[in-house]
Amino acid sequence: MFAVILLPNFRLQAALRFREEMDALPVALVDEQAPKMGVLEASSAAADAGVTAGQTTPQALARCESLVILTRSRAQERSAQSALLEMAAALSPEVEATADGFCTIGLQSSRTKDWQAMGTCAIAGLAALRLRAQIGFGPNPDLAFLAARRARPVLVVQSPTTFLADLAVQELDPAPELLALLRDWGIHNLAQLTSLPRGDLMDRLGPEAGRLWERAAGRAERPLRLVREVEEFIEEFDFEREIDTIEPLLFLLRRFLDQLALRLRQAYRVAGQMAFALPLADGSAHERIFTVPSPTADVDVLFRILHTHLEGLQLHHGATGMRLHIVPTRAERQQFQLFETPLRDPNRFGETLGRLAALVGSENVGVVHALDTHRPDCIELRPPRFHELDPAAAPGEDLAIGLPLRRFRPPIAATVRVMAHHPVWLDSERVRGEICASLGPYRASGGWWESDRWSTEEWDVEMESSGLYRLARVRDEWRVEGSYDEPSRGNRRGAGAVVAMQNGELAR
Amino acid sequence: MFSVVTASSSLSAFPGDRAGKVAQLRAILAEKFPMVQPRANGVLATGVPEIDEVEGGLRRAALTEFSASSGAGALFIRALLRTICRERCLAALVDAGRSFDAEGAGAAGLARLLVVFSADGMQAVKATDLLLRDGNLSLVLLDMQAMPPRELQRIPANTWHRLQRLAEQTSAALVALTSQPMIEAAQVRIGTGKSWTLDTQRRWQRDVVASTAWRVFPRRVGGRRMPVWEDGHASAIA
Repeated sequence: MFAVILLPNFRLQAALRFREEMDALPVALVDEQAPKMGVLEASSAAADAGVTAGQTTPQALARCESLVILTRSRAQERSAQSALLEMAAALSPEVEATADGFCTIGLQSSRTKDWQAMGTCAIAGLAALRLRAQIGFGPNPDLAFLAARRARPVLVVQSPTTFLADLAVQELDPAPELLALLRDWGIHNLAQLTSLPRGDLMDRLGPEAGRLWERAAGRAERPLRLVREVEEFIEEFDFEREIDTIEPLLFLLRRFLDQLALRLRQAYRVAGQMAFALPLADGSAHERIFTVPSPTADVDVLFRILHTHLEGLQLHHGATGMRLHIVPTRAERQQFQLFETPLRDPNRFGETLGRLAALVGSENVGVVHALDTHRPDCIELRPPRFHELDPAAAPGEDLAIGLPLRRFRPPIAATVRVMAHHPVWLDSERVRGEICASLGPYRASGGWWESDRWSTEEWDVEMESSGLYRLARVRDEWRVEGSYDEPSRGNRRGAGAVVAMQNGELAR
Repeated sequence: MFSVVTASSSLSAFPGDRAGKVAQLRAILAEKFPMVQPRANGVLATGVPEIDEVEGGLRRAALTEFSASSGAGALFIRALLRTICRERCLAALVDAGRSFDAEGAGAAGLARLLVVFSADGMQAVKATDLLLRDGNLSLVLLDMQAMPPRELQRIPANTWHRLQRLAEQTSAALVALTSQPMIEAAQVRIGTGKSWTLDTQRRWQRDVVASTAWRVFPRRVGGRRMPVWEDGHASAIA
């Protein structure tokens, strides 16, 4: 058995997929690249008003004043064709992309034999993707195609002879000359055609008539040109005018995601990455790739990720279109560890990271990563990868010595008096006074094999007036790198806060 | 309306002193509106004996104020880094002064710590708000010890109440580190009177933590203020 899924008025359907508000309007589709072709396809409301394919735009408008003229969008046609092939692939792995707007499916290996139910299910699936389809089932591809053309919306050919008998010869799309000749002979339907002897027909009219006879008899067999399933989840839309506010983008984005999520679910996939692009009026494009922390097909989650990005987006030119490409992946199956506390909602966490990055800058959010150098304070914040943490990793022995440093970023320039190779007096905008004890020097250097060589001499010092600091001498210039302990900044000159604390009360 | 009448009649049925009536009123409100009561989410053991003995650790779903010198704050953060490593949970540090130094901190702890450097106090508060709403982290540290006290005091008091209310809706422990006590909304306050000399820099950090006299002041136990809070710290909050 074979099936053909046919999308009537395919190009128009593709153009109207994200324009629900135009469903009931008279709409005609034209091609800007081929204006001489006039109207390519017309909606049923337009057809009722007398608009037909081939008319020029003025002719069409003369017949229907309220006619909406839409431009053909090849990008949207590609998306619709992808959706059609994905639906076909859900029925059987043997799929032929016969032409734009229809495909042929080999169902020989199908376990289900309830073709009517299968067709109804596929029709519903495509309707959810805003595609109106007709499906025909037949014992060979040609019969299935003929059935699809007459299906409302599903037609299963049980008896090819009965089905074909009523069909007009032109249903088989013969050459015009051959059709005219048959008409002259009084041959109008396929039953009349197949009543003629095939050999005599071929002798008189040539091999083309023989092939036509075979098709009319329902005996034409051909192998399918199978297509490899390409999981390409892309939705595109070209705006008719520049868009410079976020609301229309969000509106369309939601529709994109609704459609793509449906397609993902049909293919048993989830979104691993999203490539978002906004072509701009100046010819450039704003592009961004989002990695979904926990791959999902949940529309709300995916929408929040993009919404967060769009909220903080500022562009110098209006958007002329929008493109969303989802890279699919298999759904994760995560086994939670007994003693591990992983992220409860990785996608929400990813969204929070995005918001934090928008608030403080992406370079100021992340997990501390020490750079490959011994140079002090050479760190950077990198995006956290909490899902890769080893739950069995032991904390390790605590070998830290002394109080942790609180760094001053940037370091504070200082004047230091040195006696007997030890700092004895410190003067800076943050701390000033006599140094009563010091530890050091701790020297370090590196990068001597490069132009970026560095060397530093560090001292830990205790101030007479309280406070522990780290000093550093870099190229004969002193600076305060940070503090190990520092009295409250309001009380730095005195030691009132600390004294009060020692008496068992919190500082006043 | 029905609830108010019921509460009043219930109160009048149990005459007593004013504190008793307030306690009864609290009990009635807790019964009528259980959803606004803080959830009991347990504690996060800190590994610091003096803190864990009093409270069992840091209260989850509550705001704790750590008020001490900057050195004590940094030491406390290091102790909590070991905690998140031991408990295998995730934490965030919102550093309002960009003062966090990773030198000497264990890599395992750092891998579980999300660091946010903020430019000022309000930005830090906003970042904390986002992290609490996220609900994925067990511990959120808001380090404001490196901020000038004047800037710290510019943060409206109701901000802390909002953070406290937010924390109540999660299972995260929220710790705000300040250089002087100022957060009235804090459920627990931790401090230390310790000041250090340069000799500390020759000792193991774990010994320094163990030898420090940490003090814990829970604000409420069973809906009533602890005497130590009222006697010793009410004026400091004001």
